Amino acid sequence: MRDYLLTLLSVGLAALALYFLTVSEGTSGLLSALTLIFIWGIAAISLNLINGQLGILSLGHHGFMLIGGYVTALLMLPARERRPFRTRLLSDWARNHLDLDKWLRGLGLDALANSIDAKFIIALFIAGLAAALLGIIVGAPSLRLKGDYLAIVTFGFGEIIRLLPNAPEVAAFTNGPLGIKGIPGNAGNIWWTFLALLLVLWFFSRLKFSSYGRAFEGIREDEIAAEAMGVNLAYHKILAFTISAFFAGVSGGLYASYLQSVDTQTFNFFVTFFLLVAISLGGLGSITGALLGTAIVVLVRVYGGFLEQPNPAWVGYLSGAVLMLAAFAFSAYIRKARRLRPVIEPKHFIFGAVGAVLLVITIAFFKQPWMQQTVQFFGMRKMLLAVILILIMIYRREGVMGRAEFSWKLIIGPREDIPTDEQRKQDAWLSNPDLNPGLKEDGDDDASA
Amino acid sequence: MAASKITSRSTIISLLIGAVFVVLLGARINSLENYTFARVVQDFLNALTLGSLYALIALGYTMVYGIIRLINFAHGEIFMLGSYFAFYAMTLTPLPWAISLLVTIILGGTVLLVLRSLFNLEEPKRTFALSLIIFGGTFFLLTFRKLGWVEGLTLSMLATGVAGVLLEAIAYKPLRGAPRESMLITAIAASFFLQNFGQLVFGARVRGFNAQTILNKPLNFHIGPETVYFTGILVVVPLITALLLWVLNLFVSRTRLGKAMRATAQDAEVAQMMGVNVNQVIALTFFIGSILAAAAGVMYAIRFGQIHPLMGLMPGIKAFTAAVIGGIGSLPGAVLGGLLLGFIEIYVVSLFPTLSAYKDVFAFVLLILILLFRPSGLVGEDLTEKV
Repeated sequence: MRDYLLTLLSVGLAALALYFLTVSEGTSGLLSALTLIFIWGIAAISLNLINGQLGILSLGHHGFMLIGGYVTALLMLPARERRPFRTRLLSDWARNHLDLDKWLRGLGLDALANSIDAKFIIALFIAGLAAALLGIIVGAPSLRLKGDYLAIVTFGFGEIIRLLPNAPEVAAFTNGPLGIKGIPGNAGNIWWTFLALLLVLWFFSRLKFSSYGRAFEGIREDEIAAEAMGVNLAYHKILAFTISAFFAGVSGGLYASYLQSVDTQTFNFFVTFFLLVAISLGGLGSITGALLGTAIVVLVRVYGGFLEQPNPAWVGYLSGAVLMLAAFAFSAYIRKARRLRPVIEPKHFIFGAVGAVLLVITIAFFKQPWMQQTVQFFGMRKMLLAVILILIMIYRREGVMGRAEFSWKLIIGPREDIPTDEQRKQDAWLSNPDLNPGLKEDGDDDASA
Repeated sequence: MAASKITSRSTIISLLIGAVFVVLLGARINSLENYTFARVVQDFLNALTLGSLYALIALGYTMVYGIIRLINFAHGEIFMLGSYFAFYAMTLTPLPWAISLLVTIILGGTVLLVLRSLFNLEEPKRTFALSLIIFGGTFFLLTFRKLGWVEGLTLSMLATGVAGVLLEAIAYKPLRGAPRESMLITAIAASFFLQNFGQLVFGARVRGFNAQTILNKPLNFHIGPETVYFTGILVVVPLITALLLWVLNLFVSRTRLGKAMRATAQDAEVAQMMGVNVNQVIALTFFIGSILAAAAGVMYAIRFGQIHPLMGLMPGIKAFTAAVIGGIGSLPGAVLGGLLLGFIEIYVVSLFPTLSAYKDVFAFVLLILILLFRPSGLVGEDLTEKV
């Protein structure tokens, strides 16, 4: 009860904060960053279901998102935007029939057809269903294959889906490499993505602690043991892929409508890579971690622009400081971990020395004009993401959160590692040889083992 | 054992499917009116060239997978690095002697260190001779004249081999013994890193790889009224590939290090117990794989005339497909798969021009089908996982 109230309260507070952000001036950048976090967060949480909870490395998530994006785009495209397609590639059939407006009016649901919000929700739902259908197909190989081979198969599916919209026969629907522009929809409005994220969070946190979620985690830990416990492997694997694909499709639809355009380059393999960095950073298997990782990664992407226009001065300062700090940290760590006496290792000395020289050079030449020039370093953010991922894999494979989830107990609840009075009483009973006849035998067993 | 393998059901099925394809192709060729003998020759030459290049790249995938069970996603980027190294070696030379000296010291020093650690050259006499050859050779090559494609190829192969070893040492070595999925993720990250590194350092634009050599000089000849478009590269690629394969085969089958490699591929733990330095063997594998990829990269660049930082993506995927077709982990399988894929690609595009837009899709479809229905490939060992 307390937890529910606290959750409601914090959601309310978050909504209030969002409200103040929307009404105050000069926060459009922050708001769009938040929208992106919400959209990518949905995708990351859905990828986390396969990669983290089911324990299957899936690399085809961009395909699901692309399907969601294209379906939403085609369904939502208004009539006046459809006309120009005649001169381009979109076929007459697609132009006339793939129209949610017409479908709804045909069913006599004019009220829904008149409301763009209702249409958007329906389009998102259909997009999710289309992606889920694909998820069944992509998930099917997981019944035969395992490990990296399966990862490559999912990657192959994702890439096929990405390449298909450009093929001439399919381009009649997708407008080929030009993509579809002018998609209406309200995902640019932060409330929609916020609401969608709340629903997704609710759904996935319920799923994780349901029998299905336990079954997924059982499959991750040991397929054979899970099967022996009565878990239907095929059913649960396909189910996980379907659910994950559904929400990936929804997030793809949201993203397409946020950008108001969709093409095959929007959803290339980098999307999956980006999500992979996010969930690995947050911790594979943790919904909280997925959201946290997404937030970090999106912020790097949105606000990391300065990384691509550095000038030598602050690159010198930064790299010098980082190198010297690393040298100190390494030597301190080694001294602590191996209890060495204070000896400087040559590697660390070189690190520190290079850092110091860099700092000295930077300070000495700080006034020079070449120090203040801006250099264009395109792709620095992507390189940073790649480096982050490699470092996580090497040094902290469980990510920030591990498999732990956020819970109120964790912050303010009674600590479970301190026994309550009742538990103490029980322990006293257990450790009393007069009251617990099994104690002596156990002791003997332990001794012999 | 062999008899049971040949009569196994999946082999028969794949043979049947192959036969059906051959019959269909024959029918298609018969039905095409303008498919003359000249086009047969032309397609054969193109397919042989492309297949050789795929085979060279596929060898790197298959060797690395055989040794440490890692799908080296970054291999396509190694291929890209190879072509860029050759590009710079061929366009920037002759260097001023001071810069040349600097480059020689840095590059030669790294190469020397890596080679020494790879081939057990601790003996002072050998080290001295090797360093003399490397430093002298590099300085001589870089300083005096504009390099041709042979020198560019050689230098690029050495430099790329070292780059491959460094990649292994930095990104993959700390993950020894980690789950295979983690290693795959690291490889993907390394691939992305190298792509963006290439865009940053080499520039994102497409560069013409204008090797003004006799290799690109048109030597067209006629068969009847038809012209066969022929250049030297169409002969050179298969020849160099055959040479490299011969040397590789000698190395793997005749030398102590080759024996160590085979032993490690069979069982790394037992090999280690028998005194094989497994880390050295792994580094050596990356070295050889990268050398072959660099050779492929340079020849690919000469063949298609342009290079860009993302060029390794599709050839990498296709070569991986080739390695899987041949049975990943098997050297002859990789060559066979590479040639097969080259022939399939060229002939599909030539016989069914409408399908040419699906060229890349086709590679992925083939990859998925092979992985699903015959993951051990054509000549590969059985990969069934045991409990």
